[in-house]
Amino acid sequence: MEKTDIRFPKKEWSVAVRINHWCMVSFIMMLVITGIYIAKPFTYLSGETYYKFLMGNTRFVHILFGVGLVLIFIWRVYLMFFSRFHADFKDFFAFTDIKNTIAQIKFYLLVSNKPAEHKYLYGPLQSLAYGGLMIMLFAMCLTGVILMGPAHSAGLTGFVYKLVKPLENIMGGLAVVRVIHHILTWGFILFGFVHLYMAFWYDCVFQEGTVSSMIAGLLFKKKKH
Amino acid sequence: MGRQKDKSYQSTVSRQYRQLMEQCKINLDKMEQELPPPRDDLKDTLKERGVSRRDFLKWASLTTSALMLPPMFKPLVARAAENFSRLPVVWLHFAECTGCSEALLRSTYPNVDDILLDTISLEYHETIMAAAGYQAEACLEKALHDFPGKFICVVEGAIPMGLDGHYLTLGPKGKTGLEVAKEVTSKAAVTICIGSCSCFGNVPAAKPNPTDCLGVGDALGIKTINIAGCPPNPVNFVGTLLHYLMFGALPPCDSLGRPVWAYGKRIHDYCERRPHYDAGEYVEEWGDDGAKKGWCLYKMGCKGPYTFANCAKVRFNAGVSWPVMAGHGCIGCTEPAFWDSMAPLEKPIAEKNVIGGEVTVDKAGAALLGVTLAGMAAHGVISAIKGHKPENHD
Ligand code: SF4
Repeated sequence: MEKTDIRFPKKEWSVAVRINHWCMVSFIMMLVITGIYIAKPFTYLSGETYYKFLMGNTRFVHILFGVGLVLIFIWRVYLMFFSRFHADFKDFFAFTDIKNTIAQIKFYLLVSNKPAEHKYLYGPLQSLAYGGLMIMLFAMCLTGVILMGPAHSAGLTGFVYKLVKPLENIMGGLAVVRVIHHILTWGFILFGFVHLYMAFWYDCVFQEGTVSSMIAGLLFKKKKH
Repeated sequence: MGRQKDKSYQSTVSRQYRQLMEQCKINLDKMEQELPPPRDDLKDTLKERGVSRRDFLKWASLTTSALMLPPMFKPLVARAAENFSRLPVVWLHFAECTGCSEALLRSTYPNVDDILLDTISLEYHETIMAAAGYQAEACLEKALHDFPGKFICVVEGAIPMGLDGHYLTLGPKGKTGLEVAKEVTSKAAVTICIGSCSCFGNVPAAKPNPTDCLGVGDALGIKTINIAGCPPNPVNFVGTLLHYLMFGALPPCDSLGRPVWAYGKRIHDYCERRPHYDAGEYVEEWGDDGAKKGWCLYKMGCKGPYTFANCAKVRFNAGVSWPVMAGHGCIGCTEPAFWDSMAPLEKPIAEKNVIGGEVTVDKAGAALLGVTLAGMAAHGVISAIKGHKPENHD
């Protein structure tokens, strides 16, 4: 057995972040699937109208998970600033270290063997992608709440809708809000694929157990920390 | 529901309504004293047009409920209708097609709304007045002089702002639309914008908007009541004027200046095809089986879900029909910039061309996804072949 194979576990992700991550994955997947049906429904032919409720149910699920996503997003932002394990809001700016960023781009393009230094929780490009995801999530939740508003004018929804109505007017009406919502969905789909690929690629290239780190929370480093 | 059974709640509500009614009576008295006598007696006019008293009362109760008032206001609505022709109105036309005037003043089977609009005391209306040239100008000046701060200014059409407003000049003195609008609205009691052009710019202001058209409110920086629609429903206009006669004030409006009683809910919320929407039954093609069965027009580009208006409730042409009932989706004409934001009009909004040409969001997204997947595959294979490994990594 060679010495270099000895690895030391290092805790990378807190329990809260891990749970939050998997909630987000499942909720976003559910929302993309139901969202695609709402955007491009197919006709449900068999049976009589009075006992069918396909679009109604799909919209119900979509709204249910959408409200859930708003809460998960708020939780994630809270963890960003107040996590007791590691409040990571500064790590979202890792890309501002230009030298590091260039080194990372070269490493990703397979032209150099020196990856960026591991100064922050996220790599420079990773920070950019996750920062973008947070912004997309915010925009998605906001447009979603605006679209939910007019159909449910009572209770909390009605109250929140009053608050966001000026934004709807600024954007140019519900139709424009809807288009933005639709475009952002594609952003999530693209992010999902790239994120998945990068996680696997990291796991293969660095051999630190990147994929399992989001489950067990541990990365296996060569040096002790 | 629980709150309605509550006695104290109910007594508060009925007290408030009684107060409102008192206020309304006082206001109507005031109007009757201040404004000139009605031009025609409504009772005679109705008789001439073959509308019975019973029909008139039916209309009154309908309008009362459309205005979201309790039934006890019915006599007051009827009284306001009788005084309708007292209101001096100056009707201005700017960049538009006169479709709104046509829709309001011309109907084959006029109901009470249309008759009321026929009897309206128009001091100035470019399309239908007999006067022309300097004589017309004199009419306008007379109206401004006789009823300062009393008359209602109705504006139809957007105001071109380009070239200092010179894309639109009117009348024998060659005034620009902007000048006329400023002059008249500054003396009016209220300015009512009729049609989406004067409310938000609409078709004249659609991209690329060569004449820099703006809605009246934006162009002059004033508060207007916006009876949006292309064309709007006569009921919404008449109801707003009746509200003004009854309460001396315009009805509460949403954030875009549209009266809430008419534009508070979406087309989609009132639509009679809505059950088919929720069931998942859509017209897939013009004239298919679904179309014959009256299924939802969402996939044929209905913009009802994004459009605030009461068309489904009050309908057009004396309640005969409305676009979705006739089998074509809503095109969203009561919304700002609908010509641009609602396009494509006969396809779902998800198929909007954002980049231009034939490229829809979905096509662009799918192409991008394809490129990404191919790139990832290539990247993975090359990494494996090269045996890409980090150097000196901790
Ligand atoms: S026809 Fe239009 S307004 Fe009516 S339910 Fe379908 S989408 Fe909504």
